[in-house]
Amino acid sequence: METSKLSPITRITKYTLIDEVQQRSFVIMFVFCAICVFLIRGCYQGNYVVNGQSLDAATIVRMLSKATFHVIGAGVMVISALLSMRIFRRDRTEGMQSCILSKPIARWQYAMGKIVGLWALSVLFMFILHSIVFLITSINLKVFMPGYLIASLLCSINLLFVVIAVLLLSLLMSDIVAFLCVLGVGAVGFVADGIAAASHSQIGQAMVQQSSGNPLSDLTWWKVVYFFWPKLLGVQQLASSLIDSESSLGFGSIYPIINVLIYCLILGVFLFKRFRNEDIV
Amino acid sequence: MIELKNVTKRYESLTAVDDVSFSVKTGESFALLGPNGAGKTTIVKMLLDFTRPTSGSLSLNGIPSTLAECRQSVGYLAENNHIPPSLSGWQYLIRCAELLDMNRSEAADHCRRIVELIGMQGRENTKISTYSKGMVQRFGLGAALMGNPKLLILDEPTSGLDPIGIREIRLLLESLKDQGTTIFLNSHLLSEVEKICDTAAIINRGKLLVKDTISDIVKDGETLEDVFVRLVKG
Repeated sequence: METSKLSPITRITKYTLIDEVQQRSFVIMFVFCAICVFLIRGCYQGNYVVNGQSLDAATIVRMLSKATFHVIGAGVMVISALLSMRIFRRDRTEGMQSCILSKPIARWQYAMGKIVGLWALSVLFMFILHSIVFLITSINLKVFMPGYLIASLLCSINLLFVVIAVLLLSLLMSDIVAFLCVLGVGAVGFVADGIAAASHSQIGQAMVQQSSGNPLSDLTWWKVVYFFWPKLLGVQQLASSLIDSESSLGFGSIYPIINVLIYCLILGVFLFKRFRNEDIV
Repeated sequence: MIELKNVTKRYESLTAVDDVSFSVKTGESFALLGPNGAGKTTIVKMLLDFTRPTSGSLSLNGIPSTLAECRQSVGYLAENNHIPPSLSGWQYLIRCAELLDMNRSEAADHCRRIVELIGMQGRENTKISTYSKGMVQRFGLGAALMGNPKLLILDEPTSGLDPIGIREIRLLLESLKDQGTTIFLNSHLLSEVEKICDTAAIINRGKLLVKDTISDIVKDGETLEDVFVRLVKG
C-alpha cells in the first residue's frame, strides 16, 4: 500500500488512541482493573487442598494465573465493546467525522483508522493487565511462564472481532443495543463451548446415554452453533494452552483462530460497505 | 471547478433537491441562496460526498465527488460547526494540518498564521469547551483555510458571530477572493453576499429558480433581498 494511503490511517489511529486515553471513564476503568489484578496477588499465597492433598505452590500459581488470564481476556472484551460502541456517535456529534471526511481522506481510511486505534488500545489494555500477572508470578512467586504474554497477544484476535462487530452494529442500531448484541454473541459462544466441553467429558456422555440411549443425538443443534458461532472462548482456551506449552497446533486446535478471523473479515467488509453509504451529519 | 448535473436527492417521499444543474468557475465567488429547508445544505453535503444523490452527478475540480481526491484542495466550514470540546483550538488546527499530510513544523507554522488570520491570538491554547459560539466558528473557519485551499465551501460562515466578527470574516473572504480562491457560500445574510459574491443561485423547495451574476439578478432599484423575496414567494 502507498505511504500516502497509510498516512491518514496512522493519523486517525493516533487521534483515536489519544482521545480515548484522555477520557475520564477510560482512566477510571483502567485503574480499577489494574487494582483488581493486583489484589489477586493475595490468592497465590493460600493453602489449597484437593482430594485431601495439598497443592504445591507452582501448581497453584499456574492454575490461578490461567483463571486470571481468562477473566482478564473476557473482561477486556467487554471493555473493548464499551469503548467501541460510542466512537462513531462521538465523532459525529463533536464534528470530527465531517472535519476528517471533508479532507481528501476516503471513508475506508477513516473506518480503518478507527478500527486499528480501538484495537490497539484494547490490546494494550489487556497486555498491561496480563503483564501485571506475569510480573507478579515471575518476580514475587518465582514461577516463570514465558507463554503468558504470547497467549495475551493471541487473544487480541478476539478484541479485533469485538471492535469490528460493535462498530458495525452501532451503525445499524443504538449504541447500547449494539453493545448488548455483541455481549450476547460472546455469551452464546461461551455457552456453546461449555456444552461441547461437557458433552465430551465422561460424566456428560454417561448422562446423555442414560437419558436417551442415543449418545449426543440431542446435541446436534448445539454442535452447529459450536462450530459456526464465533469461537471467542475457543481462542482464549487455545491461547491459555500456550501458557503451559501443552498444545500441539494442528488444524483442530487452530480452528477457533481461523473461525474468528473469518468473522472479522466478513464483518469488516460489511462495516466498510455500510459506512460507505452512511450519511455524514 | 464545481459542476452539478441533473442532481436529485430524495429522502423517502421528500424531494430535497430536484434536478438541479449549475456550475461554478475557478476564481468565482458564488452564493447559494434559499429559505430554510430549500436544499442548500443537502447540495453542500453532496458536493463533499457526505450524502449521495439519488440521481445525477457532481464533480469538484473535474473529479467525481465520490472520490476522495476531489477534496485535495478544498476547505469546508459546516453550518453549526462543532469541534471536540476536549481539545484546544491549537490542537484542533494541528490535527487538521496533519490530516493534510503536513509534518510537525510545517503544521505549527501554518497554524500560527491561521490563528492570526482568524484573530484568535492568545486564546488558541484554551480548551474549546470554554469558547463562545463565535470563537468556535472562527476556529472552524481556520480549519477550512488550512493548506491554502483553492476552493472554500462555507455553510453559514457568519453564524454566531457578532457584527464585528461578521465584518472581519467578510474582509477575510474578500481578500481570499482577490487571491483567486473560489468561494462557494451558503448564507442567509444577503447584504454580506452582495458584498462578497459575483454570482448567485436561488433555490426553493429543491428547485433552482435562478443562477446568474448578481448584477444581472438584481435589476435597477432592487436589492438582492427584494429579488430573493419575489422569487421565493412568487
